[in-house]
Amino acid sequence: MKIVVSFKVVPDDQDIQVSGDRSLDYSKAKPIVSTYDLNAMEAAAQLAAANEGSSVVGVTVGGSKIDDSKMKKNVLARGVDELYMTADDSCDGLDAHATAEALAELIAKVGEYDLILCGDGSADNYAQQVDVQLAAKLGLPVVNGATKIEAGDGFVTVERTLEDVIETVEVPLPAVVSVTPDIALPRIPGMKDILAAGKKPMNVAGAEGSYANAIEVVDCKAPEQADRKLEIMDAADDGAIEKFAAAIKAAL
Amino acid sequence: MKAFVLAERSDAARELCAGARTVADEVVLVAVGDMEVPAAVADKVLHVALPEGAVFDDAADTVIAAFDAEQPGAVFAEPTKHVKVVAGKLAAHAGASVITDVIAFEGDVATNMFFGGVGQKQQKAAGSVAFYTVGAGVFAEAQASGTNAVEELAWVAPAKAVKLVASKPIEKSGVDLFKADVVVAAGRGFAEKDELKLADDLCEKLGAGLGCSRPLTEGVDWLPTEVYIGVSGLMLSPKVYVACGISGQMQHMVGCNRAGALFAINKDKNAPIFKQCDYGLVGDIKTVLPALTAAL
Ligand SMILES: Cc1cc2nc3c(=O)[nH]c(=O)nc-3n(C[C@H](O)[C@H](O)[C@H](O)COP(=O)(O)OP(=O)(O)OC[C@H]3O[C@@H](n4cnc5c(N)ncnc54)[C@H](O)[C@@H]3O)c2cc1C
Repeated sequence: MKIVVSFKVVPDDQDIQVSGDRSLDYSKAKPIVSTYDLNAMEAAAQLAAANEGSSVVGVTVGGSKIDDSKMKKNVLARGVDELYMTADDSCDGLDAHATAEALAELIAKVGEYDLILCGDGSADNYAQQVDVQLAAKLGLPVVNGATKIEAGDGFVTVERTLEDVIETVEVPLPAVVSVTPDIALPRIPGMKDILAAGKKPMNVAGAEGSYANAIEVVDCKAPEQADRKLEIMDAADDGAIEKFAAAIKAAL
Repeated sequence: MKAFVLAERSDAARELCAGARTVADEVVLVAVGDMEVPAAVADKVLHVALPEGAVFDDAADTVIAAFDAEQPGAVFAEPTKHVKVVAGKLAAHAGASVITDVIAFEGDVATNMFFGGVGQKQQKAAGSVAFYTVGAGVFAEAQASGTNAVEELAWVAPAKAVKLVASKPIEKSGVDLFKADVVVAAGRGFAEKDELKLADDLCEKLGAGLGCSRPLTEGVDWLPTEVYIGVSGLMLSPKVYVACGISGQMQHMVGCNRAGALFAINKDKNAPIFKQCDYGLVGDIKTVLPALTAAL
C-alpha cells in the first residue's frame, strides 16, 4: 500500500517572541514539524510496516523557510521513505482551501497512492480543515478522528473517536484520513535513522500555481496578559508552604 | 442576510441559532439524523434523514444541495468532528475556508487563537459567504427565535460513501469542571498514575475538581479526556486554579488564565508558569503536595 502523509512545517512556538506592540516575532523560531503531524507520520510508518510492500511518502507545502535540512532529515528518519515539498514564499500562511489546492498539485507528482494521512490539527491554526478540503479537491472520501486504521481489500477500516461515540467505519480507497495524536506515539529517531535519512529522496520545488486565501487576516497579536501577583516562594524555605496555603485559603 | 446553522447537538443548535439571529434576518437550521431540534430557534429547519449505514459526514452532499438552493451569506457550525467535515466540504464547494473555533465576533471580524493562544487572529471571509465554527458560550447572551418550519431534504448520495459499521457511546466520567469553584490540575510532573493520589487528597481538602494537562490523557489513560484543560480542551474560569507539575505552555494556560487566582507548584524555578501565576511554589510535588494538604 502506498501511503502519503501530509504534514505542516511551523515555527517552533517555544521561540516565538512577543514584541513591545504585541506583534509576534518568528525570527528566532526554527522550522519544525507541527507536533501532532509527527503522530500521523508514526501512524503511516506503522501501517506500512503492517502491510508488506508498503511505502510512505511525506508531502508538505509552505514558505521557502521550510526547506530546512535538519527538518527534512527528521521527517525521513521516522519511517518516511521519500519527501515531496513545495517551498515557496507564495505558499506561506495559506488557509485550508489554498493549502489543499497546493497540496493536491504536489500530490499529483507522487503518482498513484492508496491513502493520504493528515495529523489532528496544526500547531498554528489548529483548524482541522485541510484534510476535508484536500479530500474535496481530490474527490476522495474523508474521515477524521482516527484512533485505529486497518487495511482491507480496497478499503480501510477506521476507528474514529468522536466527542460522544466511537465509530467504526469502512472507507473505500483512495481516501483521506486524519488521525488523533492517540493513534501512535512518535518514535525518537536514532543516529542511524538520521544518517540514513540524508540518503533518501527529497523532491523540493517552488510553487507551480498561485494560491489565493479565502480568509483575510485583519490582525494578529499576542493577547493582553492578565496582571498576576507573581509571588514565587521556595518550598524549602521556612513557612513557605504555610504562606502558600494561606494564600489559597484567602482566595477561596 | 440568510444564515445556515450546522449542529449535531441540541444545545449547540440553540446557541448557534441565537447567534446567527444577531446578524441574519433568516435563520435556517440544518438538522441531520435524530438530533432533537430545539423549539422555536429558526425560521426554517431543514431535516436530513440518515439512511441506514450512512455516516453523519456523508450528509454533506445533501447539505451542499440545500446550500445552493438557499444561498446563505453565513454558516455557523458546531466544532465537532462530524460537523467539521460537513462544514469543510461545504466551504470547499463554495471556494471558501472555515474560520474555526471563533471566540469573539465584532461585526464580520472573528477572533480565534493562533499557536494555541500565543497570539489571537482577527479574520474575515474574503468571499461572499462566511463560514465559522463557534464553541459553546460565545453566543450565550443571544436569544433564539423562529417558527421552526420543517422541511425534509431528499438524500443526495455521496459518490464514494463511507460505511458505518458500528457506533458505540463513550462512557463519560460525569465530572463537570465548569461547576467547580476550585480546580486542581495535574501535569507531566506526575511521573506515574499512582502519584495522582496526592492531587486527589488536595482536591478533597479544597473541595476541588481534578483536571489535567493534555499529555495526561493522551497515549495514557490516567484521567478521562473530558477533564484536560487548554485550547483544545476545557476553557475554565474557576475562582482558584492550582497547577501542579505543569510547565505553563500557552496551549494549556489559555484554558485557565481567566481564573480568579492562579497557583502553581513546579520543581523547576524557571518553568514558564511562574511568570503567569499569582503564587508559585518551587518544589517537588511528591513532598510539597502532602505538606500543603496538611497545612490547609
Ligand atoms: C495544537 C496543540 C494543541 C494543544 N492543546 C493543549 C491543551 O488544550 N491543553 C494542554 O494542556 N496542552 C495542550 N497542548 C500541549 C502543550 O503544548 C504542552 O505540551 C502541554 O501542555 C504540556 O503539559 P505539561 O505542562 O503537563 O508537561 P511538561 O511541559 O512536560 O511540563 C511538566 C512540568 O512538570 C515539572 N515537574 C516535573 N517533575 C516534577 C515534580 N516531581 N514536581 C514538580 N514539578 C515537576 C517540570 O519542571 C515541568 O515544568 C497542545 C499542543 C499542541 C501542539
